[in-house]
Amino acid sequence: MTSMVRKALQFGLFLLLAGVIWFSFSTPAPQQQIGQASRIFYYHIPMAWLTVVAYAVSLIFSIKFLRTKRELDDYRALWAAEIGTMFCVLATISGSLFAKVTWGVYWNWSEPRMLSIFLLLLIYGAYLALRAAIPNPERRGILGAVYSIFAFPTVPFFIFVMPRIMPSLHPTNSVVNQNLKFTMGLEVRLIFFVSLFCFTVIFFWIYFLGVKLHRLKLEHAES
Amino acid sequence: METSNYTVLFTNLIIWAGIFLFLFRLDKKIKDLEKMK
Repeated sequence: MTSMVRKALQFGLFLLLAGVIWFSFSTPAPQQQIGQASRIFYYHIPMAWLTVVAYAVSLIFSIKFLRTKRELDDYRALWAAEIGTMFCVLATISGSLFAKVTWGVYWNWSEPRMLSIFLLLLIYGAYLALRAAIPNPERRGILGAVYSIFAFPTVPFFIFVMPRIMPSLHPTNSVVNQNLKFTMGLEVRLIFFVSLFCFTVIFFWIYFLGVKLHRLKLEHAES
Repeated sequence: METSNYTVLFTNLIIWAGIFLFLFRLDKKIKDLEKMK
C-alpha cells in the first residue's frame, strides 16, 4: 500500500468516526424511554464486541505459537489479550455508567451481565499475571498459550450465553431480537454499524502497530 | 439537541482527534524505522 493511499484511509477513518460522534449526539436518542444516556449504546456495544474479537485473536495466535514456537506469535497472542482487556475495562466502565442512569446503581452483583464481565476481567487478569510471573520466555509462552486456549471458551459463554439464560435487567435485544431481526430504526442502525466498523478498524490498527514495533525490537536485538 | 450534548460531542471529538493524532504519528514513526533497516 502506497503512503498516500495509507494516509487517505487513515483520514477516512478519522472523518468516519468523527461523523459517528457527531450523529450519535445530534440525532434523537436511540431509546426514548431511557433518554440521553442511551446514546452510550453506540460506544458500549463496540467495546464489548472488540473484547470478544481481541480474545479470539489471542486464541488464534496462542494455537499458532504452540505449533511454531516463534516469539512473535507469542507476542501477538499477548498483545491481543492486552488490548482485549483494555476494551473489556472500557465496556465495564461504560456499562456501569449506563447502569447508574437506568438502574440507579453503578454495580449490582446479582446482575448476570455485570458478574460475567467481572469474571472475564478476572480470567484475563490471571492470564496477564501468570505470564508476568514466569521469567523463562519459552515456558511463559507455552503456559500462556495453553491458558489462553482454555480461557477463550468462557468468553462467548459469559458475553452471549450466561446473560440470556439467567434473569437479567440488561437488554438482550438491543441489536437483533430472538428471530434475528433488527430491533432499531434505520438511522440508529447506520450510526451503530459504522461505529462498530470504525472501532474494529482502530483495534486492528493498534494491534498491527504493536506487532510491528515488537518485530522491530526483536530484529534489533538479533543484530 | 440539548446544550450539554454539544459539550459531550465536542469533548468526544477532541479526545478522538488526540487518539488519532497519536496513532497517526506512531504509524509514521514505525514506517520510518522500517525504512531505516
